[in-house]
Amino acid sequence: GSDCILQSNHHGVTDLSGKHAAELSLRSLVNMGFTDSQAEQIYETVSKAKGASSAKHALSALSSLFALGLNASTVGKLLEKCPQLYTIKESQFQQRIGNLRRQGLGEGSLQRVVSHYPQILVVPMKKINNVGMFLREKCLFTVQQVTEILRDSPAIIEEDLGELEYKFQYVYFRMGVKQAEMVKSKLFRFTLNEVRSRHCFLERRGLYQTPDKKGQTLIVNPKLNSILTVDQDTFLAQVAKASAEEYDVFQRLMAREWQAEEHQENFEAVS
Amino acid sequence: EKWAATRAKYPPTTLALQHFDAAYGIQLGHLWPSVRAALLCERKYGALVNNFSDDDVLSDLQDQGCRDFISDTDLEVHLEQISAVGVEGESSDLSTKTSDISHQQLSPLQISRNIKCLVFPRGDITRFKPAKPDKFGLLGYYLMDAASVLPCLALDVQEGHNVLDLCAAPGGKTLTLLQTQCLGFLCVNDSSISRTLRLKRVLHSYTPKPFLSGDNLRITSFDGTKWGEIERDTFDRVLVDVPCTTDRHSLVEDDNNIFSRSRTGERRRLPQLQLELLLAGIEATHPGGEILYSTCTLSQTQNQSVVEQAIHLAQENHSIHLQVVDLKPLTHMFRKTFHFAPNLHLGEMVIPHLAANFGPIYMCKLKRLT
Ligand SMILES: C[S@@+](CC[C@H](N)C(=O)[O-])C[C@H]1O[C@@H](n2cnc3c(N)ncnc32)[C@H](O)[C@@H]1O
Repeated sequence: GSDCILQSNHHGVTDLSGKHAAELSLRSLVNMGFTDSQAEQIYETVSKAKGASSAKHALSALSSLFALGLNASTVGKLLEKCPQLYTIKESQFQQRIGNLRRQGLGEGSLQRVVSHYPQILVVPMKKINNVGMFLREKCLFTVQQVTEILRDSPAIIEEDLGELEYKFQYVYFRMGVKQAEMVKSKLFRFTLNEVRSRHCFLERRGLYQTPDKKGQTLIVNPKLNSILTVDQDTFLAQVAKASAEEYDVFQRLMAREWQAEEHQENFEAVS
Repeated sequence: EKWAATRAKYPPTTLALQHFDAAYGIQLGHLWPSVRAALLCERKYGALVNNFSDDDVLSDLQDQGCRDFISDTDLEVHLEQISAVGVEGESSDLSTKTSDISHQQLSPLQISRNIKCLVFPRGDITRFKPAKPDKFGLLGYYLMDAASVLPCLALDVQEGHNVLDLCAAPGGKTLTLLQTQCLGFLCVNDSSISRTLRLKRVLHSYTPKPFLSGDNLRITSFDGTKWGEIERDTFDRVLVDVPCTTDRHSLVEDDNNIFSRSRTGERRRLPQLQLELLLAGIEATHPGGEILYSTCTLSQTQNQSVVEQAIHLAQENHSIHLQVVDLKPLTHMFRKTFHFAPNLHLGEMVIPHLAANFGPIYMCKLKRLT
């Protein structure tokens, strides 16, 4: 079990030589506030990494994360979740954090984003900036709203812009939902299929209508928030008023329909 | 711009939906959203096994996970239903005593053992493959709404019966009736010439020539409303499967849609046409014979109201007394496969449901007493 690994790791300490290794000792990690097992893990990961600079990068990663005001327990979890953090150069780290600040993420938000989605520090700045620009220019979100989107749904930065645009247009045109409402209901946390499934289900049941040019509908549509931010049981019981069996069959039918549509589109694209 | 309408502002399918929302929202109440979603989603089919085919399609289909819904009813249900019917007999003056009806109702399933219709289980959305011809060129099964088999079962044909199928094209129900292989003479009619041609093609792809000879079968293209003038008091059984708003079809297909503006008049006249067809069917039946009225719409105006008026007018104008035959035993037997509308005061109706997406099919059975 774990005891055994711990033992061998303790022996491993003496095998490591060089300046950086001395700085990144188990003891120093424990002194930084990591628990024994976290220290073990970090130590092991770094010593396994190839290249002379790995220990140096690890140290800079640790200090940068601490500098954000995160505590050792959080930092430990982040490194476990996202080991790529070890590979980032100190200067890069600073640039990226600075960039996130420029996107409007203040101290509290920055901490929250990094702890929920450490990958945000791994992704090139350009990509984040492109998403921000896309949201502002193509979807007409305000600067403030873009910040909120990044804070609430940081995974958006890894999404394909074409698909993002489709999702936005779907919700804007088909569902008639405005930007503020999208932000409020944390739209970008959900996949297009999740959004579409719930919306289409309501629509076919006669409980949702696309507003006309004047923005009017014959029925009162449920708020996007109440459709998306609830679990499936609540959605079915309170919004769709349908059984789980019906929704299950519906989703399978939709998956087949959409797949056929995609096939059709691909076919049209090549022919 | 992806979502901008390139179609007409109100295509017939949209008009149909608006119409149904208004009418069925009231008629079906809280059931409507569920039925609506089912109607707007892909329907389920049943595979009517062609007994004339040489291939063993039955076991082939069973291997794919289908089951014959007609034989898939347990005895317990039969017994249960007999007692249930005895107690809950309706008191409406249109309906009749029920004790002997329950026995009557068990028999069709004896005689109709030859009718087999396979369906994929509840919630299973697998599609059937197109049927293949056997070495004589006959197709192994006919794909149709499995609920369309119910009117044929309810018709309860017996050995040697003379049967009239008044509005028969494209022939799904005709084919079903032929599977019993017990009919005396079968008259198949449809006023539309082109649809009658289609019906003939269907019959030829499923039935060996001898069965389609003049001794057993006659195919005509008369106006069914005139049948009372042609052949009165003749048939043991008459199937009146009338033209209607074909609800499911009207929601998906803009071409040739009964809700298109140009067909408004025709649509408004449907209940009158249906009434005339049913009355003609009643006249064509001999006293003691039975009539089955069916549609594929949920509309009360085209279903119950038509039957009510026909019963009334048959009495008034032709002194024909009719008795409504309770179909509860039948629906009870197939409740595993279909969703039936609760508490219809007259007839029975299969309502679509996502997990059992058959129907709509309305049916009402009448027995001619005089
Ligand atoms: C619901 S479809 C019948 C479906 C058919 N029983 C089957 O199971 O395949 C109604 C048919 O009635 C026919 N029809 C319409 N008006 C008629 C009339 N006046 N007399 C006879 N048939 C008529 C139509 O051509 C149409 O084929």
